[in-house]
Amino acid sequence: MIDILSGVQSTAAALDAERTRLDVISENIANASTTHGADGKPYQRQVVVFESALQQAMGGGPATPTLRVAGIEKDPRPFELVYEPGNPDADSHGMVAMPNVNVQEEMADMISASRTFDANLAVIKNARDMALQVLTIGKH
Amino acid sequence: MIDALFNQPDYLAAKKALDAVALRQQAIASNIANLETPGYKRMDVAASFSTELRRACASRDPQEIAALKPQLEVDPNAVPVSPDGNTVSLEDELFKMNQNSLANTLETQLISTDFYRLKMAITGTAT
Repeated sequence: MIDILSGVQSTAAALDAERTRLDVISENIANASTTHGADGKPYQRQVVVFESALQQAMGGGPATPTLRVAGIEKDPRPFELVYEPGNPDADSHGMVAMPNVNVQEEMADMISASRTFDANLAVIKNARDMALQVLTIGKH
Repeated sequence: MIDALFNQPDYLAAKKALDAVALRQQAIASNIANLETPGYKRMDVAASFSTELRRACASRDPQEIAALKPQLEVDPNAVPVSPDGNTVSLEDELFKMNQNSLANTLETQLISTDFYRLKMAITGTAT
């Protein structure tokens, strides 16, 4: 199979990776005040780690680096202690460990991820327009 | 005999330039995909390609033009734009992508015109 849309594999991989990142961000925001997870501990913020991977182009073209999710890791930052004696998860001093999620930080991350997603969509659109132009060769 | 028609230096040069345009689009797609990958270095078509193409065109030797092959390389002039060493700037890439798109229009038009002229010579009519 020939590669009509040049670079489309890299872009598709990047769109996929950015989507994973958005999923993880929404999970973080949803659990911003979960003090009691499945393991009984407060929710720990998750971070997506990206890496670039070489991908062989279809049709024997040169290999170009694409994007891949290397893993989803837990943020090691400590939990924030809040005084809330009425909470069932409070310790003997009335302190509750809140998840290490900072909603403002997540929102900033979300904007960055969605802008990157948009940029990759623009690349696909451009590749498509270019391919259509090439297909008009010889038509007069 | 038909080979001679497709071995004119102008046609071959436009074809090679179109190859380079497709390759550059691939490089830009990779660069934008890796916009936020720590330490990623931007790729581009090797700068030597345009000088080689210019030299081959000046020689008017079809073989020399046909032997050219555009290659991708890590851009040696790119400077890191973020503390992690990534050298991709989104504005720069989008600018280059638009420039590349225009180059694509130019090369396809050139090749189309070459075909049109051949057709005109064969049929003897302008349509």
